[in-house]
Amino acid sequence: MTQRPLTARGDSGLREQRPFHARIPAFLYMLLCVLVALFPILWVVMSSFKSNAQILSSAVSLPTAYSFEGYRMALEVSPILRYFFNSVVITMLSTFLNVFLVSLAAYVFARTRFRGKNLLFSILALSMVIPMTALMQPVYQVITSLGLADSLPGLVLVYMALNMPLTLLIMRASFAGVPASLEEAAYIDGAGFMYTYFRVMLPLTKGGLASAAVMAFLNAWNEFTFALVLTKSAAVRTLPLSLSYFTSQFSFNYTALFAAITMAVLPSILIFAVFQEQVSQSLVIGAVKG
Amino acid sequence: MQRRQAGWIALFLLPAVALFLTIYAIPLGITLYTSLFDYRLFPNRMVYVGLANFAQLFARDAQFHRALVNNLVWILLHTTLHIAIGAVLALILYKKPRGWKAVRVIYMIPSIISNAAVAMIFANIYNPSYGVINSLLKSVGLAGMQRNWLYDPATSFVSVTMIWTLFSGYNTTLILSQALSLDSSVLEAARVDGASRLQQDFLIVMPLVKHMLATTMIMAATYMLQMFDLIYLTTRGGPGVTTTNLPLMLYKTAMTENNYGYANAIGVVIIALGVLFMTLINKLLRTRED
Repeated sequence: MTQRPLTARGDSGLREQRPFHARIPAFLYMLLCVLVALFPILWVVMSSFKSNAQILSSAVSLPTAYSFEGYRMALEVSPILRYFFNSVVITMLSTFLNVFLVSLAAYVFARTRFRGKNLLFSILALSMVIPMTALMQPVYQVITSLGLADSLPGLVLVYMALNMPLTLLIMRASFAGVPASLEEAAYIDGAGFMYTYFRVMLPLTKGGLASAAVMAFLNAWNEFTFALVLTKSAAVRTLPLSLSYFTSQFSFNYTALFAAITMAVLPSILIFAVFQEQVSQSLVIGAVKG
Repeated sequence: MQRRQAGWIALFLLPAVALFLTIYAIPLGITLYTSLFDYRLFPNRMVYVGLANFAQLFARDAQFHRALVNNLVWILLHTTLHIAIGAVLALILYKKPRGWKAVRVIYMIPSIISNAAVAMIFANIYNPSYGVINSLLKSVGLAGMQRNWLYDPATSFVSVTMIWTLFSGYNTTLILSQALSLDSSVLEAARVDGASRLQQDFLIVMPLVKHMLATTMIMAATYMLQMFDLIYLTTRGGPGVTTTNLPLMLYKTAMTENNYGYANAIGVVIIALGVLFMTLINKLLRTRED
């Protein structure tokens, strides 16, 4: 146990020791990527602690004192908490409904046989190749004729649909991965279709459910285009949409502007920090199966 | 059992099918159909015009020509330069240098925060009075090179392009996941045969992840084909039409001019381009082994 071969460090079978100078280019490239990714966000966060005068006189410098005055002003000028609440409601509802309802179909596609199954799946799979931005106007028309224009339910409905392709792929793959014997055992024990689905199959696909939910959550949380097209009033405005009003709302109050942007960005980063494994996983499933 | 299940199967499929019809199929039908009409709201009219909308777009509409060219250039850059930036990082990270996991996660951050937030951040980075770029130029004595990066017609296109080109985290994650799943004995053999590091990367690893590369290219092409929020929130397609693309023109035509038939003709062009790119990239890079 105390003896470990020197080369087998960590889980790496590929790692090899090379002279320091040979590793410099790779190291520099990694450093550059980290800087490119972090600098814009750090700059905004740093600026949110500076005074207006500091922002204007020295844009790229650390704040001399950390004041939360910007955050107070931002919350005063713009009902960010209201938009935040709207975003939370829309995102939670659309994520839950999307994962719940699309999983039903994914199960049927993965585990049952019926005539026309492959044809129906290919038709639903069309949703993966249709560029939704091209359908802006008719989606607006459909939502309006359903009486859901400028309302939270209208956005929930569209966000559920936008995430349908990915959830369908992820959940079909997860259901397909459950051993058939478990399902058969349930039926032999006399369990019905519903019982088998909710009590046996669904609990066995927790990983898939988490991946699908995280992606649906992030996509709905970040969506801008349809929020812009489908809503008008401030009462139903989402957080990403509210960002487009920041510049005029915070005219010349740059501290508050940067504080507002920081508040809008943080939730996504926190969610990602917690669920980054699921995010990468569902990206890969979506790419490989898509 | 089959017969007893039929009802459940139908019930389980119903929500997904209904969602597909409402948000995908019906809007797609409306787009295709109304693209053949002179269909507007003010004054309210709907007259069949055959392919006149398309004739107008391709033969006479200078704004469309510019939007199309911009869109195609952006797609070309996004499927090449943007992916190359991410692929190089993946080629470095799959050898698991120290800190590779952290670099992968950090580089993903700009890709998971909302585009609305990214747009606002870059609007500030490019800001002429307190933005990062002008401040840095001034501090190194190049104040003469300062300009209004987003609103100067000479720099607007490049400035907007830079907002999305450097953030290639999705591609890194996808290509890396594929590279990590490769059989390490292949690389071992190459190393024994005396292949240099670069030879291993480009002659062995790259061909083996070709399939994933094709997938990222399709994703990049369809993403850029539909790019809306990052442009809308920074330049609104201006100054003039220098940063307009097809979705932006569609939005303006539909939502501000209420010229629905013409807007949906642009939608049809977007859908056709999407299909075209998918087939083209598949033909070029995907082999039919699976």
